[in-house]
Amino acid sequence: MGGEIIISANLEKDWKDIVHRCFRCGYCKFTADYSDFNCPSYKKYRFETFSTGGRMWTIYGLISGEIPWNDQVANVIYACSTCGNCMEHCKFDKFKDFLVDFIEAAREEAYNQGYCPNKQKALLERIENLEMYNPYGEKNSENDALKKEYDLPDEAEWVYFIGCTSNYRQKELRDATLRFLKKANINFTLIDEHCCCSPILRTGQTKNVKEFVNYNLMKIRETGASKVITSCAGCYRTMKSDWTKYDNSTDIEILHTIELIDGLIKEGKLNFKSELNQKVTYHDPCHLGRHMKIYEVPRNILKNIPGIDLVEMERNRGNSWCCGAGGGVKIGYPEWSLEISKERLEEAKNTNASLIASACPFCRTNLNDANREFEMNFEILDIIEIIDNLDYEIN
Amino acid sequence: MQNDLILGKLEEIIEPSFVSNRMEDLYIYSQDPGASLPRKVDYVVMPETVEQVQEVVKLANKEKIPIIPMGGGLTLSGLVIPLKGGIVMDMKRMNKIIDINSQNRYALIEAGVTSGQLLAYLNKNHPDLQPPIPDAPPSVTIAGNALIHGSGYLSQKYGDHGAMINGLEVILPDGEVYKFGSCAISDYWFTRGPIPDLIGLFISSFGTMGIVTKLSIKLFPKPKMRDIVFGLCKDPNNLPELITKITHREVAEDILLGIQDKPDWMKGYTFIIVYITGESEEELNNKTKILKALYRKANSRYMKVPKHIEDVFLEKPQFAAKAADFRKGGGFEYVGAFIPLQLIPKLIQIGTDISLKHGIVPTLGARLIGQGHSAMFFISYSFNRADPKDMENARDALHETNKAVLEVGGIPWKAEIEGQQLILEKMDPNYKKLLKAIKNLIDPNGIMNPGNWEVK
Repeated sequence: MGGEIIISANLEKDWKDIVHRCFRCGYCKFTADYSDFNCPSYKKYRFETFSTGGRMWTIYGLISGEIPWNDQVANVIYACSTCGNCMEHCKFDKFKDFLVDFIEAAREEAYNQGYCPNKQKALLERIENLEMYNPYGEKNSENDALKKEYDLPDEAEWVYFIGCTSNYRQKELRDATLRFLKKANINFTLIDEHCCCSPILRTGQTKNVKEFVNYNLMKIRETGASKVITSCAGCYRTMKSDWTKYDNSTDIEILHTIELIDGLIKEGKLNFKSELNQKVTYHDPCHLGRHMKIYEVPRNILKNIPGIDLVEMERNRGNSWCCGAGGGVKIGYPEWSLEISKERLEEAKNTNASLIASACPFCRTNLNDANREFEMNFEILDIIEIIDNLDYEIN
Repeated sequence: MQNDLILGKLEEIIEPSFVSNRMEDLYIYSQDPGASLPRKVDYVVMPETVEQVQEVVKLANKEKIPIIPMGGGLTLSGLVIPLKGGIVMDMKRMNKIIDINSQNRYALIEAGVTSGQLLAYLNKNHPDLQPPIPDAPPSVTIAGNALIHGSGYLSQKYGDHGAMINGLEVILPDGEVYKFGSCAISDYWFTRGPIPDLIGLFISSFGTMGIVTKLSIKLFPKPKMRDIVFGLCKDPNNLPELITKITHREVAEDILLGIQDKPDWMKGYTFIIVYITGESEEELNNKTKILKALYRKANSRYMKVPKHIEDVFLEKPQFAAKAADFRKGGGFEYVGAFIPLQLIPKLIQIGTDISLKHGIVPTLGARLIGQGHSAMFFISYSFNRADPKDMENARDALHETNKAVLEVGGIPWKAEIEGQQLILEKMDPNYKKLLKAIKNLIDPNGIMNPGNWEVK
């Protein structure tokens, strides 16, 4: 039936005033066809508390003072990969766009109240560490060696923002991207990048985000670049969606590597000279898919690679099952994180694909970890690595 | 027994991760999306097997702890919020579709199977069959809906969903497993009879008699094509006769009525939504012609609606819960009254008057049940969950509506506790006497959702 529905949400000002508008109808738990639960948190815990609706009501209980903060309540707020399935399937227009924001805002409250779990707190401690600036606890690379190795200038039209996962854990992905950019004759450089802040934003530890955003933007501006390209879905979402909340003056264009590749294919400039005769399935990273609505770009690339038989998992695009790494789940709940990935790998098995492609180093990490743990025998690669393994020309 | 001892016992029966007395879980289970005030819950459990249900019931009976079975928890009228504390048993881990008998058209399922799950399963595996599902979100359970005398898709053609139950497996307060319907005699869960029909004891009794663990629900043929013929009626007094004529021609799979002041074009009219089905375009066209003629004769008119609006009504299940956002407050509750058709004009007046009196935009409607045998007429009150006064206003409106419905001869459906008491006040004394005697026989310790249907 009809009726007047008006929501004008200004998250910074009034999220506390609208979170109670969740009816707890439960669409957020499901796949698009209702055949299964698609919320990793609800599927594991099964109490209504752990559905997004339950989480909204818990947040309202905290705001209204009906329940107090404690570690267990904080667990309800943190036991969520913020994959965005709820946003995809909630039926309340406009309101649904804020569901993950509400959870992240509640995490900020948890942090301020002293209830951010220690494992997640470690992310901030490492990122703030003057020797690190990354969530992995590695010494900051500064990227000078890479600049020398790839003969990169100090000033350029583009900056390749590598991202911490690719720079410290998935170097094959980073190197494949660097080789591609060179081959594509992109006038690019690297900066001494600090974390984009995705891990701390997703876990509510926002106190120094502005400083990090300002620093990274300053470094980008020093190069004179007008475009930033990244191979990381998490960095891409954060730079494109979150950085503007801290600095809306920037007119720097943000791209994911797959957008560059797709553009080159469409312009007829990228031509593959070898084949990949393999059945491939694509895993939609939540950061790139549900959060940024990029679904067809990676598929178009894969379809254009000669020999690839692209097959879809039952849950795909906006209906995808999360890899389980995001939202602080990988560090906070490592075993559960792998269980979530295992379910994705089992779904991929049903397609008879031997290679799982993605466009997110964090998904690649977690899917590979589960692949090893559960001996699933997949090859799991980023799209840029698949291309790097092929002969190709860029005109 | 101390709380922690009970918790320990429950954790011996069910994996500890599915047993809780944690504050945050009790908080969520102490309220539902309707207008009821929160009430105390002591434990929440999520069994996975019949044996676990039996053991929890035996423990509750021994310790005289109330136990409240819960499906989707979306009755809106607080039926699974304990009135006297106790254990809420969330059934949603018992979610197996055990058998689809396509020949005899029934599904044997566990009590936690959601309407979305069964709908998706049939769409994929038995595309020629359709289940009776309510207008509620897909997270409600098939069992919960049927057991509250629910209505919804196919109700016009085949009756309320409670009438579609072929058989039940129930754990009674003694902890034993009881079977009702043909399954008590045969391996086939295909019919309720021909034996004394005790299944009715578990319908609309809101978990006061036992805990249903399995049920067999009728399935129905799914025609190839489905469409809607919309109509607009200015004078509500024309509606009963018009509906009788439509049902007499047997052209409608389902019939809905909508009466509301928003959007503006609907004010002062009744929106008639007739679902038609067929195996060919020709069949649909013929049914459309019949309906257009019937509308005309009843001083009503056929209405062509934009495709995007038609699609909203063709979606299964329909998104009826959008009323929750009418006051930008996340809540609504309605009196759904079972009424004879001739009361429709009166209910429109009652609903409009009470809504306006309480400052709520009138949002009324009806779903026809059983070829014109009755209608479930709903009068919906949206409220702002964050405003206690607005919620109180909605509760007052609901109470007034229950009273008015009973006065004119209707019966509130899945009534909240205050509504149940109004119904009991009006109920034939011998009915009450028998109800009380049966309840005492089955549940001598009064552990099953106590407070509901309590005959003083």
